Amino acid sequence: MPNPLDTAARATPDRIARKLRGLSDRAIAWAFVAPTIFLLLAINIFPLIWTIRLSFTNFAANKPNAEVKWVGLRNYERILTDPDIWQTMQATAHFLVWTIVLQVLIGFTLAWLINRKFRGNDLLTTLIVLPMMLSPAVVGNFWTFLYQPQIGLINYAVEFFTGIPASSFSMLGSVTLAPWAIVIVDTWMWTPFVMLICLAGLRSIPDYIYEAAEVDRASPWRQFWTMTVPMVLPFLMLAVLFRGIENFKMFDLVVQLTGGGPGDTTLLSSIELKREAFEKWRTGYSSAYAIILFVTVFGLASIYVKALNKVKER
Amino acid sequence: MSSYSVTEPSARSKSVAAVLVVLYAVITLLPLLWIISTSFKTGPDSISYPPKAIFSPTVEGYVNLFTNRTRATTEQLATMPPPANFAEEIVRKRNEVITGPSRFGERFLNSVIIGFGSTFLSIMLGTLAAYAFSRFKVPLKDDLLFFILSTRMMPPIAVAIPIFLMYRTLGLSDTHLGMILLYTGVNISLAVWLLKGFIDEIPREYEEAALIDGYTRFQAFRQVVLPQAATGIASTAIFCLIFAWNEYAFAVLLTSGNAQTAPPFIPTIIGVGGQDWPAVAAGATLFLLPVMIFTILLRKHLLRGITFGAVRK
Amino acid sequence: MTAFISGLLSFRRGPWEMLATILIALGVVMLMQPFALWAFTWSFVVTLTGTVMFIITSHFPE
Repeated sequence: MPNPLDTAARATPDRIARKLRGLSDRAIAWAFVAPTIFLLLAINIFPLIWTIRLSFTNFAANKPNAEVKWVGLRNYERILTDPDIWQTMQATAHFLVWTIVLQVLIGFTLAWLINRKFRGNDLLTTLIVLPMMLSPAVVGNFWTFLYQPQIGLINYAVEFFTGIPASSFSMLGSVTLAPWAIVIVDTWMWTPFVMLICLAGLRSIPDYIYEAAEVDRASPWRQFWTMTVPMVLPFLMLAVLFRGIENFKMFDLVVQLTGGGPGDTTLLSSIELKREAFEKWRTGYSSAYAIILFVTVFGLASIYVKALNKVKER
Repeated sequence: MSSYSVTEPSARSKSVAAVLVVLYAVITLLPLLWIISTSFKTGPDSISYPPKAIFSPTVEGYVNLFTNRTRATTEQLATMPPPANFAEEIVRKRNEVITGPSRFGERFLNSVIIGFGSTFLSIMLGTLAAYAFSRFKVPLKDDLLFFILSTRMMPPIAVAIPIFLMYRTLGLSDTHLGMILLYTGVNISLAVWLLKGFIDEIPREYEEAALIDGYTRFQAFRQVVLPQAATGIASTAIFCLIFAWNEYAFAVLLTSGNAQTAPPFIPTIIGVGGQDWPAVAAGATLFLLPVMIFTILLRKHLLRGITFGAVRK
Repeated sequence: MTAFISGLLSFRRGPWEMLATILIALGVVMLMQPFALWAFTWSFVVTLTGTVMFIITSHFPE
């Protein structure tokens, strides 16, 4: 259908035509962006502002008719001086640090091996990627079966290889083993992610750099540390930041695996937040907690975007 | 020049690498294979010691997944008419009778409706926004894009508190519409980021030629840009679908009956004295298998989107 | 180092963003370290300062 504005634009001199088109372009730009912005305002920003407001009150969602008192910064003060909350942060830190260390080590090694370009490497890559595409809650639930002391596959494998009786230990029931059990499942699930990003990094290194190194007779060991690693490092940073953010707010997988137990040893910050908000119904208090988590994630996200832009320039 | 190349690894290093990667793939796929195989075991087989790798397959787990059953005595069973179908037959062997269909079918359907509904919405809105960001001067563009990205990174539980209150007021809690809007709100950021990358790669000259030919902006967008971006749109859609399909935190907090999806439901399948593992495995298999097949079939298009488009190949 | 300081004084984006990044990282470490409760208490202020600084300085000229 011919647009009257456009017909007019074609009939007028070039300068005015451009102006007219420019005007309609701007209208189109706004019309195209507006629904997205509106939805984000409704689903993300309005709730966020509401959370900030609630965080200064003692509101409880299960008592909507009770009087709401303005408590100032008291909620923040209580959270940030509470040794129990500090404890959940340390549980989160344990989970975060070890999953990242393991995923980077295994993921980079895998990427490095796959980059040998042997036959069938792309199909193998796809197969390895499968765990990270699946529902963490459903898979996490099934891992509790694999971790069963007497009948579970993991315990049986441990017995088979080390001779420690399968029924003598419980990965999810023991205070010392549970924090490692969740690290293992997360590593199983997300190592492929780190691998994919490292692979992209390795493939971004141009061949001529290695050819030049060969001319200089640099040893493979030296080539690896002076060329391969520095070139992949920005990509690795990206993977570490992304996994860091994701695991800082980890909820579904660990809730299904341990639910925070035994004895709060795997009580990650998001699980604690869920308890405060939806089991104890301390809405004001948990809003403040949510804001603390949110600011941390937002800060890390801004570093992530900066790193992402740096990598994209390459 | 010889055929020797410094960047081409030797045959020996290739085969060593291949063996190691295959070994990792086998170990990492074992839990998934275990889910599938458990779904075809009988109850006693699934919890035997040592774990059984070889067993006679049965669809008992699937029958349990889709039905509610009750115990019946041998005398009661003797007075009943012969089993009407294979499911009844399997159940009767264990001295049980089917009392009706289970909730799993509904939950699975909810997952499908909410998954596809939110994917459709996010792609529709996301394509428009991505096109605008890619082609026009939008004021505060970088800030808007960063804002859009950062909304994706919000912890779901933190957002869930006000959403819970808001939905309660609006009557959207535990409805399909509410969940579709919520998942669209979360997915749209990823959609805009990925699609902007795809649209950026389409040369502007195509549209400019169309504009000179007398197309309006909107016609140029619909008839020139959209067909060019089709693969990008398709792979973005798969990502949105997988997210909505797998999502658990919002689903468990904001739905209870009517609009509950499969991920919060599957872990609650219980039999006599604990979880009914073959039924859980059957539910998991039906739920996970479509994603696995999608991933394998669409690997070329999927792998790129994994880090907001940072991975190029 | 002097270049860094003069960059800060002339409101260049690079050094200010670097400073903000360091503050955010420091805040996150303070939040999750297992050593001192006072560091945990003040971590939020540090992260918040860094984040706000990051948003503002990303509008400084290159």
